[in-house]
Amino acid sequence: MLKKFIKDAFDKGLIEAVMAPSATKDSYTYALITKKDDVDKLTPIAPVMQWNGADMIRRITKLKKSERKLLAILRPCESRTYKELVKFNQINPENIIVLSYDCPGTVHARNFKFEPTSAEDLLAEMKNGNISKKVRESCQVCEYPTPIKGVGDIGFGIFNTNEPVFFSLSDNGKEFLASMGIQEGERDDSQWVKIHRENREKWLKEERITGGRKGLEDFLSSCLNCHNCKDMCPICFCKECFFEDHSVFDYESNKFYNWADDKEGIRLPTDKSLFHVGRLIHMGTSCVGCGLCQQACPMDIPLYRLFGIVGNDLQKVFNYKPGVDDDIPPVMDFREDELHEFEGLFGGEE
Amino acid sequence: MSEKKFDPVIVGFFCNWCTSAAADLAGTSRLHYPPNIRPIRVMCSSTVDPVYLIRALQEGADATILGGCHPGDCHYITGNYKARRRVAIVKTVLKSLGFDDTRVLLEWISGSEGPKFARVMNEYTDYIKQRGPSDFKYLDSLGGEEVE
Ligand code: SF4
Ligand code: SF4
Ligand code: SF4
Ligand code: FES
Repeated sequence: MLKKFIKDAFDKGLIEAVMAPSATKDSYTYALITKKDDVDKLTPIAPVMQWNGADMIRRITKLKKSERKLLAILRPCESRTYKELVKFNQINPENIIVLSYDCPGTVHARNFKFEPTSAEDLLAEMKNGNISKKVRESCQVCEYPTPIKGVGDIGFGIFNTNEPVFFSLSDNGKEFLASMGIQEGERDDSQWVKIHRENREKWLKEERITGGRKGLEDFLSSCLNCHNCKDMCPICFCKECFFEDHSVFDYESNKFYNWADDKEGIRLPTDKSLFHVGRLIHMGTSCVGCGLCQQACPMDIPLYRLFGIVGNDLQKVFNYKPGVDDDIPPVMDFREDELHEFEGLFGGEE
Repeated sequence: MSEKKFDPVIVGFFCNWCTSAAADLAGTSRLHYPPNIRPIRVMCSSTVDPVYLIRALQEGADATILGGCHPGDCHYITGNYKARRRVAIVKTVLKSLGFDDTRVLLEWISGSEGPKFARVMNEYTDYIKQRGPSDFKYLDSLGGEEVE
């Protein structure tokens, strides 16, 4: 049905290009097509998220806005990323229409390689009222598994409807659907959102990393310091990452020996845990919960527990929902009168 | 720590236009403040990437202070508001993971507030002395005690 929608949109001249997943031997990558004839090469709803689609659009519009009318098919977490990256001036949204859908979740890319499945299978489990156990941890605890108003342009609803329905999420989307001659439909995603939110609440309580130094060291004990988690994170878009500039962590040998004296021995490299805490400080307020950090980890460290849960705490401080709210991201903004509880030793005593 | 007396190291990132001037004023007014404070002059509280605060904590500081101009008085107009957000973020991350978030202190001290500077430094040093060594400095080391 989505493929027909895309073909019709080409016919009507409403789009000139599409970005959507496309199958490879062992996975799915994003593909960009510019002709109706190529639509059948796409798998608009794919069971694997190898990259964050918003990150791909960032690459396309990095130097210049999209010169053609592009339809991007993004999962709900990817459309939130898209919105967040627009706010960070990393994506130029001009000429781009985002379509998002009720998401059945995605399987860890490595698991998929050895045990392939399809979005249809995941959807079938979902229709029975279960989140598939096959999908990634971040999908099981997803806060927004369905399209929401104000995020992206067009929603494609597959929960609790006999037939899939289209609905608009923005004025552009409304216009688009009208030009397509599509009647906007109703869907009810409340039950589905509820199941995810219940999972999430439980997860936020039970999987929290506590215990300060020991807790963090244990959690990260097998970390290779490879920075894959950062490379795959769509919010870590910095051209020059603080933690890649190794001169920041260059010291004379005596520095290392002195630390070893004072700290009864040190572990090398010394910036392993600091990298994660630092990354949390840099981008935790805008973590969109795509879970790609966790998928990228060669050591299977459940990193989303760190970024999702601490991120949630951070976002509460600023009353901010990344990719959902229209507000400016907290790290780009300030109020003159706020956060006094963080001033002074016991909070704004003077 | 086996030493008898705990002598904390406290790294202060002090804005050139206010808190650093207050430190100088305290000095010339012969107001005593503890040698535990290791001041670093920065051009504005907003020039300190928050990661430098935790890096100081890991490298051996028991506490850090970010000293800026009072709200409304930043030489670069809004730098201190941004710095306040960053401190809020650092403290929240520390607390969230079970670290002691009082190891990061944000203070507004203007160039004329020499006495306030001396008082804050004395009070905070006493507070940290009572609190004991920070466990953040033992992150990725073989030492330190397990703090419950
Ligand atoms: S930290 Fe992880 S979950 Fe958050 S945005 Fe980055 S990759 Fe996605
Ligand atoms: S860790 Fe910080 S500096 Fe590095 S890419 Fe992420 S946000 Fe940028
Ligand atoms: S991807 Fe995993 S192993 Fe690599 S730096 Fe991140 S947490 Fe460590
Ligand atoms: S100049 Fe002092 S805080 Fe900005």
